[in-house]
Amino acid sequence: MLWQGREVFLDSPARAASIGIAMVHQESLLAPHLSVAENLFLGREEGGRFGYVSRRRMLERAARLIEEHRFPLQADWRVGKLSPAGKQLVEICRAILHGSSLLIFDEPTSALSSAETEEVFRIVRTLRARNVGVIYITHRLEELRAIGDQVTILRDGCTVHSGPLRELDTGRIIQHMVGREVSAIYHRESFPAGEELLRVEGLGREPELRGIRFVLRAGEIAGLAGLVGAGRTELCRALFGVDPIDSGRVLIGGREVAIRSPKQAVAAGLALVTEDRQRTGLAVGLPVAYNLTMANLRAVSRAGVLDHAAERRVTAEYISRLRIRAASDRQPVGRLSGGNQQKVAIAKWLFRNARVFLFDEPTRGIDIGAKIEVFELMHELARCGAAVLMVSSEISELLQVADRILVMRQGRLRTELPRQTTPEEILRYAALEDHT
Amino acid sequence: MIQRLLPFLSLIVLFTALAVASPHFLTTTNLSSVVRQTAVINIMGLGMTIIIISNGIDLSVGSILAMAGLLGTMAMERGLPIWAGIAVGLLTGLFWGFVNGILITRLNIAPFIVTLGTLGIIRGLALIISNGLPVHKIPAAFSFLGEGNLLGVPFVLWLLILCALLMHFILEHTRLGRYAFAIGSNREAAIYAGIPVAFHTTAVYAIGGMLTGLAGMIEASRLMTGQPTAGQGYELQAIAAVVIGGGSLHGGEGSVSGTLIGAFIMGLLSNGSDLLGVSPYLQQAIIGAVIILAVAVDELRKRRLA
Repeated sequence: MLWQGREVFLDSPARAASIGIAMVHQESLLAPHLSVAENLFLGREEGGRFGYVSRRRMLERAARLIEEHRFPLQADWRVGKLSPAGKQLVEICRAILHGSSLLIFDEPTSALSSAETEEVFRIVRTLRARNVGVIYITHRLEELRAIGDQVTILRDGCTVHSGPLRELDTGRIIQHMVGREVSAIYHRESFPAGEELLRVEGLGREPELRGIRFVLRAGEIAGLAGLVGAGRTELCRALFGVDPIDSGRVLIGGREVAIRSPKQAVAAGLALVTEDRQRTGLAVGLPVAYNLTMANLRAVSRAGVLDHAAERRVTAEYISRLRIRAASDRQPVGRLSGGNQQKVAIAKWLFRNARVFLFDEPTRGIDIGAKIEVFELMHELARCGAAVLMVSSEISELLQVADRILVMRQGRLRTELPRQTTPEEILRYAALEDHT
Repeated sequence: MIQRLLPFLSLIVLFTALAVASPHFLTTTNLSSVVRQTAVINIMGLGMTIIIISNGIDLSVGSILAMAGLLGTMAMERGLPIWAGIAVGLLTGLFWGFVNGILITRLNIAPFIVTLGTLGIIRGLALIISNGLPVHKIPAAFSFLGEGNLLGVPFVLWLLILCALLMHFILEHTRLGRYAFAIGSNREAAIYAGIPVAFHTTAVYAIGGMLTGLAGMIEASRLMTGQPTAGQGYELQAIAAVVIGGGSLHGGEGSVSGTLIGAFIMGLLSNGSDLLGVSPYLQQAIIGAVIILAVAVDELRKRRLA
């Protein structure tokens, strides 16, 4: 790696910062209880000896910098009270202050409104005018046009194209992103869709979800595509009662249900296989058996007293049916491989006899063999008359598994595509402002 | 496996060492007194076990113990029969445990803070109710609870065994116990699994409170007074018993046998120090060191497994 003509070896963010490379993180790495000025100078406080910090001098310098770049900030504001956009601006400000000559932005706008996005763009343009180099990572293609000169497209960790942006039209960019060969690892037949199981009408939760409307039928697997921040996980959480909805109706099996907590969602026959197994899916310190029966403990107990024999039977049944590789049903789930953990998380809902399954990124962090097993499980669920909604960031996966694909963008359901659609088509809806 | 048994082995070693070191140790009188002295912390520790398993903590148990002992003895003073007085003590404990649970789940405040608050509130109320004075007019037969013998062993030992079996049953054989483990191990996952987390959290504190109420009546019976100032600092001993016995303050771990061993280790250390003439000042330091040592060993075991 060459930097300003000389070979450099960067083994820490501090080393990179020392030669003038700074990164604006997607998730803010600021101290929320400190002021804007204090955050700007964090780690290199102005002041004298003995750790004395000259607050006044710091505030003055920060205020001057903010003024100079016309940032909509005040030096003495508390960072914790800023919007995500404000925090990003503080990070940018910090990079400028430290004299960085290359700024890396990682999906900076995924959590910003369009006005805030404009503000970030304006600052990026000012930086460019001041001869600061900018690497801007984004999934949103129109953002490239708005601020990019050169474009580099990566796929599966390899550079597939690099060159001036104006030489590429959007169609070509999408082609590069998708790649020609969509590796088919799995193929399934659709079932004829049965009765309506889940109907969502005008569901909204400000500001992340607006006017969501769709139907899931028994025996079908619907894919849910979209970019980071499009609201897919938020939709799952809202349906499952984790975050209450502001507007709209949810009908399960034709009956309207008011779901205000996961408890009510489970009672209504919903299941959510969460994106983050460790945090929300499993109690990793507890045995496989405990996790498996957690959502349906009543089925293996009578009058509040557990029937250990029944629990062991049930656990053994699911361990063999789902081919869960565990030393015993007493082994803590945390010691299983990612794929086997995921199978336990799914088995929990199978045992609960849920009818509508929401899978949020079910193949994250599991190996290809386990992936196919998860797909087969979903297929099996559909065959038995359940309805499945599958969120995935891997479009090829959706195309292999789903009967149809819902595409979200910025909190709205943009369109619904048949399973014969192409990755390009999906990306067009997911990544482009206006589809023409 | 050896490390898992370490607390139990330490107890045996300690017991044997004391038997060799002091001729007064292995006598019925001495062993009975160890049992009587540790029964109160043991029974509170059993309640603390399920609370800590659910990733909670109850700092107010010392105050609850005083309030229960006070109201129970006051009831007897006013002429209620002994059994009714004991029931008043138990219900007092149950009530305050329930209050703790409600505050923790409804206000969504950390258990440490809530029970730190109720520690002060309950103690203050006990002092107000009693005007700061102990209750003395108690029927003589009440001393049987803490000092009596049944079939040649202290009555409190039978009580302790009964409570231990009950708590073990709750933890290993009921939905409530299973949910306590689930909530303690990963509260988020428990909520996502549809478990009624608030209800069971409250139940856990209520049970802990009731056991503390029983401990309060035993304490009152041993002293034959209802002291509004009883039980100060007991919460830390109860927590220490759970922790020495392998309970984790991160929740999801703990057992009845562990807590009993923890409480008896502390009891034997203090009894042995008395017998061997170790200064009571040093005793405290020794017990403190044992707490750290026990947890350090347990951490080491877990790290090796991970």
